[in-house]
Amino acid sequence: MFKGTSASAGIGIGKAVNVEEAELKIKREAITDPEAEKARFQGAVKQAMEETGILAQDLATKVGEKEAEILNGHLLLLSDPMLTGEIENSITGENVNSEYAVEKVCNTYADMFASMGDELMQQRATDMHDIKTRVQKILMGVSSVDISALPEGSVIVARDLTPSMTAGIDPNKVVGIVTELGGKTSHSAILARALEIPAVVAIEGFLSQVSDGDDVILDGSQGVVIINPEDSLKAEYAEKREAFLKEKKELEQYIGKPTVTKDGTAIELVANIGKPEDVEKVLHYDGEGIGLFRTEFLFMDRTSMPTEDEQFEAYRKVAVAMNGKPVIIRTLDIGGDKEIPYMGLEKDENPFLGYRAIRFCLDRKEDVYKPQLRALLRASAFGNIRIMVPMVTCLEEFREAKALVEELKKELDEKGIAYKKDIQVGIMVETAAASLMADVFAKEVDFFSIGTNDLTQYTMSVDRGNDKVSYLYSPLNPAVLRSIRHVIECGRKEGIMVGMCGEAASDPMIIPLLLAFGLNEFSMSASAILNARKLITGYSTKELQAVAEKAMSYSTVKEVEDYMREFISHS
Amino acid sequence: MVSAKVVIKNPTGLHLRPAGILCKEAMNFNSSVSFKFKNTTANAKSVLSVLGACVKSGDEITFVCEGADEEEALATMVKAVEEGLGE
Repeated sequence: MFKGTSASAGIGIGKAVNVEEAELKIKREAITDPEAEKARFQGAVKQAMEETGILAQDLATKVGEKEAEILNGHLLLLSDPMLTGEIENSITGENVNSEYAVEKVCNTYADMFASMGDELMQQRATDMHDIKTRVQKILMGVSSVDISALPEGSVIVARDLTPSMTAGIDPNKVVGIVTELGGKTSHSAILARALEIPAVVAIEGFLSQVSDGDDVILDGSQGVVIINPEDSLKAEYAEKREAFLKEKKELEQYIGKPTVTKDGTAIELVANIGKPEDVEKVLHYDGEGIGLFRTEFLFMDRTSMPTEDEQFEAYRKVAVAMNGKPVIIRTLDIGGDKEIPYMGLEKDENPFLGYRAIRFCLDRKEDVYKPQLRALLRASAFGNIRIMVPMVTCLEEFREAKALVEELKKELDEKGIAYKKDIQVGIMVETAAASLMADVFAKEVDFFSIGTNDLTQYTMSVDRGNDKVSYLYSPLNPAVLRSIRHVIECGRKEGIMVGMCGEAASDPMIIPLLLAFGLNEFSMSASAILNARKLITGYSTKELQAVAEKAMSYSTVKEVEDYMREFISHS
Repeated sequence: MVSAKVVIKNPTGLHLRPAGILCKEAMNFNSSVSFKFKNTTANAKSVLSVLGACVKSGDEITFVCEGADEEEALATMVKAVEEGLGE
């Protein structure tokens, strides 16, 4: 059994086909007719451009414009007069064969890009290798492995998939993809998900362990690959595969459907994300926006503060990808539970009650908070960004943050830099203090988002990570439910949006209650969205009023849980 | 010969897509179109040359055009950059 990174969910059972190509052997040869050789090179470039153009079109219709962009980039490079000019000069000036001239010149550029040490430039180095190989293959009459002609039930095995390879994949024939390289966001992974082919990537040395025709099982959800399994195991996975497909099919019916209850209440069903790359998954599961974009990732695992531009770029990316749909971005929520030396954050005796989130940010306006808020404002020119302040306990904190936003807006006005003038600024309701004062907050903030994980922890005074006391941690505890209901009621009274971005928002036991209370927005991990839509569209908020009333009449968490379990088993 | 300074506004600098658009604009002219940045001079008609200059967001470059249609070329290039090169 091999363990890799799960890149695309689902179970694939089939036969291994190695699509890795033998390396081209490029030799330097002297030529006698440089003009004819130059013409041969020009013909190959022309053909390469035609092929690439067709592949790009194919990929654009099959997967999407964005994926085809890499190939359109190849077209730009192939048509570059400097590149072709240098190769031609090398052919005529040194009397060498085209294959060698292409190798030499393309490698020079690839090395130049690789040495620039920036991620986008690394991609250009890969591009140079890709176009080099394409032109050389045409020159040498070597045909590529024709992936589109693979037999049904093939599991593609490769070091990594190039854009040119992936364009030919037929999802009716390819049942799985296993690669040695790559990660969750590599080209192969993105493509596998777009085509809904189960995939496991990053299994080192896999090619040397598998032969063509081997039976292969891969579990793309778990990142597991098995070669030549026993029959019993094969049967087990065949069953798993059926169950996965059945559930998937059932939930897919909800893609593109509006999230409206039976009696016509429209709900915003949005997603929680931690990195800009997560957006792809949100769009795949038809999320209607982003309800929580955690910004901590920008600050972790590094030795210095991210620059304003770096932050701007991350926020802008998400805003653009969501194309006008709401994107709620939470400002830095960091504290003494994580030691970040460059920020001067030390281990805190009691980190969740200590120096963290908005408390820390307001203390570090110049070097931490202002750059983040400025980056958020600048990015808001590119989409529907909303700013969310975490861990607020008193009104002064919100006012101070809001005043900073206004100050920065003026600054941007003076410099003529664009931003969304009516950008919303709201709070995450996750402390008992904010919940109790929700009626007061509701008059000043633009929206609430209830963070149930922390709200439960702070309301019940319980560390969910501590096994000895974690039984106390339940958002269905009457104290927590009262708190949630109170916040929703206060928000509704002032006509502001009330959302929820904790795990409770996707919990089937809690969704009926939240609907009855009048929650407007449910935010959850992308993969939970379709199931939540299925549940929400099956309820009528009017009919749920009686259920909520009954649930709220109980005094203990056990009574509430029993009642809700009973209710959902009958609905 | 005419020249003008302009600041690159594209968030990721002159990367493949904006560079491609820059080149396409430059190719419309008979004049030579290049830009100076730091110690290098890049040929604005070559994507590779533009990429190689490694121009980041906020950097200032100086376009230099020379030829029969140099005035028009310069005006077009400056306008294209100011309009964000398709981004």
